[in-house]
Amino acid sequence: MSLRNENALLSKDDDDVVIRVEHVSKKFSKSLNRSMIYGLSDIARNVFSVSSKPDRLRKGEFWAVNDVSFEVKKGECLGIIGPNGAGKTTLLSMLNGIYMPDKGKITIKGKTGALIAVGAGFHPMLTGRENIYINGAILGLRKKEIDKKFDDIIEFADIGEFIDSPVKFYSTGMFVRLGFSIAINISPEVLLIDEVLSVGDLSFQNKSLRRLAELREKTNAVVFVTHKLEHMRSICDRVLVLDQGTNIHCGDIDEGIIKYQEVIREKKLREQKVTQQVDNKGLIYRSSGEIVIGNYGLLDNFGNEINAANFADDLTLFFEFELKSIIKELIFNVAIFNQKNVKCMADWSNDERNKMDRKYEFTNFQKGKYRLILNYKNPRLTPDIYQANFAIRNPLTGETYAKIKKMRPFVIKGDVSHRGIVKADPSWKLKPL
Amino acid sequence: MDEQELIIYEPERSIKRGYFSLWKEIIYDTKQSSWLTWQLFLRDFKAMYSQSLLGVIWALIIPLVTLATFILLKSSGLFSVGVIEVPYAIYALLGLAFWQLFVTGIVQSTNSLVSAGTMLKKINFPRQALVFASFGNTIVSFIIQIGVVFILFGFYGFLPHWRFVLFPLMALPILLLTCGLGFITSIINGVIRDLGRLLGLGLTFLLFITPITYEMPETGLIATLARINPLFYLSIAPRELALAGTLSHPLGYFISCALSIPIFLFCWMAFHLTETRIAERI
Repeated sequence: MSLRNENALLSKDDDDVVIRVEHVSKKFSKSLNRSMIYGLSDIARNVFSVSSKPDRLRKGEFWAVNDVSFEVKKGECLGIIGPNGAGKTTLLSMLNGIYMPDKGKITIKGKTGALIAVGAGFHPMLTGRENIYINGAILGLRKKEIDKKFDDIIEFADIGEFIDSPVKFYSTGMFVRLGFSIAINISPEVLLIDEVLSVGDLSFQNKSLRRLAELREKTNAVVFVTHKLEHMRSICDRVLVLDQGTNIHCGDIDEGIIKYQEVIREKKLREQKVTQQVDNKGLIYRSSGEIVIGNYGLLDNFGNEINAANFADDLTLFFEFELKSIIKELIFNVAIFNQKNVKCMADWSNDERNKMDRKYEFTNFQKGKYRLILNYKNPRLTPDIYQANFAIRNPLTGETYAKIKKMRPFVIKGDVSHRGIVKADPSWKLKPL
Repeated sequence: MDEQELIIYEPERSIKRGYFSLWKEIIYDTKQSSWLTWQLFLRDFKAMYSQSLLGVIWALIIPLVTLATFILLKSSGLFSVGVIEVPYAIYALLGLAFWQLFVTGIVQSTNSLVSAGTMLKKINFPRQALVFASFGNTIVSFIIQIGVVFILFGFYGFLPHWRFVLFPLMALPILLLTCGLGFITSIINGVIRDLGRLLGLGLTFLLFITPITYEMPETGLIATLARINPLFYLSIAPRELALAGTLSHPLGYFISCALSIPIFLFCWMAFHLTETRIAERI
């Protein structure tokens, strides 16, 4: 059976495929108790060659990776991104042979090496020197190979005379540097990397990135899991985006990153809606009774209520409120916060009154319902989830009539990848001095 | 590219490929990991006795305490050992040496996977090396116990039978059996931790109902249980050869020896088939 498969693979014309993942799925159990029972039953079935029906979910199980397929060709570097729990690490572990897939098939040409667990297998009581040999052996090196690489490893780790002290006396930085140095000095044909480039200080990170670039020249293929989109952009050729175990994009990096950011936004929005429902009765809305705030939200250019605005368009917010008594003068405050709780914009309706010598228009209010419309001319806020604070005050006395803190979030969509708060499209010039 | 190593991961390998192709992988793994096994043993050995004043002497203390317990029990008349013609210390220690080989072997191998922890979840290496390496310390303490036996021989002026030289060879069947069982218990302990605790309890009990530190009674429950327990035969036969040069239960011993090989091989294969399940559950 397996022989036939191997022949089939090799006879295909795409000889340069190094990693082929075909409809791979992996299931896990949510409950620890069930996991023990399922584990025992699977083990018994495997031993006695009775099918454990891996392709079916039992009670309490879910697909951590669900029907993922892709190929990595010779010389390519594939990045994998996705929100937490998307199945990235599970997928990488399957490529590494730590878990067997429950469905599908993975075929890899060449010896696989992983930059995954830095310092796993280190024994705290033993010296750095001893640990290099043990760790090297665990990672599949032979004594001669380690002897040959020993000086490189020590030099790269830069731990000086600590090499002959027990590892437990190392600082955290030294510990991970040594672990990373061993791992990166192995030259496998297929390299798997999981989130390890954030090890050590900046100069060590740069050294690691340089070594990685060298490694890429020598290896057949690289699979790289990271949250650092900058590393993804500079290192990878293609990107696989996972969400809840499924493959939602495989290919172009910029498109992939935009898809990923969309997924993250939606996920956060869902989470916020849940907390919002809980909070609605709580502290968010306050009113003195003279003014009651009603509906609020986003409008499109035609005045229709919408849930999300586009990056390239104007941003129009509206707030409805009801005056219960006659008030002479009002000011409105609006502040807009992004996902990281940075105050991106904050405006008071009386800001320009004195400067511009303009007649203030929000005076002499009668009882009744009003709709306030606030229009930002193309604010160029980067795609993200935003929330606003809104307050109605009296400019003469300083009284607060009503305010909402962190109102229902809204989204700015767009296919620009975002790094900062505003995307201002600068022009770049470089002149020799 | 074609001549390159081709690795395939898919579910239910034993059904798709059959047991025989597994042995190719097992032998390959074993060759690949011999140095790793040695390194892991050295790691455990060095680590076990570092930051400890008594160091390796601990390997001596544990059997001596067990021995002292039995000597105390015997001299206080709490239990009768039957008619024994050699000094009791020699008698008990020779029997215990092989019994301890089993007990420490099984306890260490059972915990070998669980104590490796994150390493198992992060690095792909032949896990059997962990189990094999866990026997290193067991064998070291066995050798130390044999050393103590020599001291006792000198102390009592007792001359063993020449067949005593077969002692190391006779350790082989019980090692195979223990290692086989250890493969299975290490996997099960990876899924259900209760096993590790049960073992400690069960083994002490097993020692008391197995006639190793006392003569086997003619009848009764203990005699019946001993007759069907290969560990009994494998533990006492080396002692009989060392002291008298003959075997009292040759058939039981040879059957036990013969059984230990297929049990070992089967468990080894079972381990190989299921080792990836452990990373999922640990």
